[in-house]
Amino acid sequence: MTAYFIRRTLLIIPTFIGITLLVFSITRFVPGGPIERMIAEAQRMQVEGGGGAGAGAGVQRQPLSDEQIEFLKQYYGFDKPLLNSYLAWLGKVIQGDLGISTRYQDPVWEMIRSRIPISLYFGLIAMALTYGVCIPLGIVKAIRHKTAFDNVSSIIVFIGYAIPGWVIGIYLLVWLAGWWDVFPLGDLVSENFDELPLLQKLLDLAWHSVLPVIAYMIGAFAAMTFLMKNTLMDNLAADYVRTAIAKGLPFRRAVFGHALRNSLIPIATSFGNNISVILTGSFLIEKVFNIDGMGLLGYESVLERDYPVVLGVLVISSLLFLIGNILSDLCVAVVDPRVQFD
Amino acid sequence: MRFRINPLTIKKFRRFQSIRRGYVSLFVMVLMIVLSLGAELLVNSRALVVRYNGDVYWPTYGHPVPGTTFGLDYQHETNYRQLARQFEAEGGENWVLMPPVPYNPYENDFRENTLPPSPPSFRDRHFCGTDASGRDVLARLVYGFRLAIFFSLALMGATFATGISIGSAMGYFGGAFDLTFQRLIEIWSSVPNLYVIIIIASVVIPNFWILLFILWAFGWMGMTWTMRTITYKERARDYVLAARALGASHVRIIFRHILPNTVSVIVSYVPFQVAGGIVALAALDFLGFGLPPPEPSWGELLQQGWANLSAWWLSGSVVSAMVLTLVLVTFIGEAVREALDPKMHTTYE
Repeated sequence: MTAYFIRRTLLIIPTFIGITLLVFSITRFVPGGPIERMIAEAQRMQVEGGGGAGAGAGVQRQPLSDEQIEFLKQYYGFDKPLLNSYLAWLGKVIQGDLGISTRYQDPVWEMIRSRIPISLYFGLIAMALTYGVCIPLGIVKAIRHKTAFDNVSSIIVFIGYAIPGWVIGIYLLVWLAGWWDVFPLGDLVSENFDELPLLQKLLDLAWHSVLPVIAYMIGAFAAMTFLMKNTLMDNLAADYVRTAIAKGLPFRRAVFGHALRNSLIPIATSFGNNISVILTGSFLIEKVFNIDGMGLLGYESVLERDYPVVLGVLVISSLLFLIGNILSDLCVAVVDPRVQFD
Repeated sequence: MRFRINPLTIKKFRRFQSIRRGYVSLFVMVLMIVLSLGAELLVNSRALVVRYNGDVYWPTYGHPVPGTTFGLDYQHETNYRQLARQFEAEGGENWVLMPPVPYNPYENDFRENTLPPSPPSFRDRHFCGTDASGRDVLARLVYGFRLAIFFSLALMGATFATGISIGSAMGYFGGAFDLTFQRLIEIWSSVPNLYVIIIIASVVIPNFWILLFILWAFGWMGMTWTMRTITYKERARDYVLAARALGASHVRIIFRHILPNTVSVIVSYVPFQVAGGIVALAALDFLGFGLPPPEPSWGELLQQGWANLSAWWLSGSVVSAMVLTLVLVTFIGEAVREALDPKMHTTYE
């Protein structure tokens, strides 16, 4: 078992290199990189600065000299061959240096670190609520299988499953925020947040969080509820529960003492995967609600060709993803001693 | 006759039929797809039938009919809505029959004294209102549906073809081939594909086929992995060993023996793949990296609804359409899954 996990952990290294190398080379070969962007920006400034009649000619002129472009290329490592600059980048990453944003000139790690609490906040709340609601709901649905309650809740859960969270987010935003004005139009806190007393700060935060949390929850909700329901029903149908009931155990104790414990195993296995979702968030939901989290940071850096940030976000999220996978396996091993890895 | 329907298949189909929710959903879905194929007859700015001076015209399909044909003073395509009003005012024998929604998804219907988006109006026959550039929302929904459903069907075909061939080879042959592709899939599926799609889509202007290719290139892993797992399990069964002992080739074993046994799993993935394709296209369109602007698309309507919060009919109608389609597809999927893999549960009274 230990050998298995050591091997899995070591396998992170080639996979991590594969992922980053792939994205690194894409950022290299795709035109419109940071230097082109700077040239375009310098051009625009020239046009705006020159103004009037000279503007037409200004567009044609190359705003940066060749030496300047060479300097920029050298500065960002675009002058070296792909593999060399990748290795240089990787070497820095190992030392904990993710580089500097080409757009904001801030250290990438600082930018990411300031976003993590926001994504973490939504991720944790959504996860706690999902587990808190899905497990009891799944239990009730399993026990009351094929009753009116089961059928009605199934349809509702299905609708939530079919529609992606960000689409529901837009819908909620339009109706509850735009039309009825019950909730705010996105953002994490109000503009006057800093002036509010502590209690009102919390209320303000909660008020802004309701809609995004719903959007976050909806996707995982259906899968979790049905997983709980189906595994509990499998276990209820198993011989050991039948035996327990046959020997005169009350139904309640047969469910909670025997069947439920075994049914939690599959739920536990998905636990490890949450780590990457919790920390990196969903950029579609963050974009819809204008929340400045990790997801939106990654998305905007792609749009702005801020490659150090793109790669920085990628490093963090892919490491979390890979570690999460191993954690999942570890959860299985801890919860279910019958499982053998080889 | 060599081709016979397996009695087991018939039994499975009966079981599917008996799950009303899924069966009705399938019926409605097929009806929607068929209707969308004839969308030109239902939602179009061209008239269905025009009767002019004793002649009957069917302008729906084919080349545009110039206005001069109907005695109008312009060479470009006839404006049938105007023509209908004109004939009505004249009152003679001539008449125009318009489709129920007399707008196509591209034309901007600007009205005097109002700025688009304008709310739903039965009088103007904008049943779902108009969008931010004055185009009929219902027309865009209908044509957008047709585009999205065929896009995701094509995407599904491509991912299934790749997934089934690579996946069953991985599961069947195992060894170095399996290991190589395992790593490749692990890397490939850890790459945040939407980022890559956005980067690529901002360089080449995507069209239907480019988008299909990109989504396929980053979406083939799921099915491959599933197929690998199933084939791996099937390979260990005795019938494979027996076929091998009889001297069957690898290709024969995979295609004639293993594949038919995995069909039920493959089929049960179809509806969810379709739903996934629709959502992926909508997400890209929402972000502005999907189909180029004039194309009718749900994601673009969602984006408009998000940007124009007061125009409730935009997000209202597109979300309703999405809910309807995706819920139907999900119901079909659940019913298929249940029909192919029935779980008989003991319940306690």
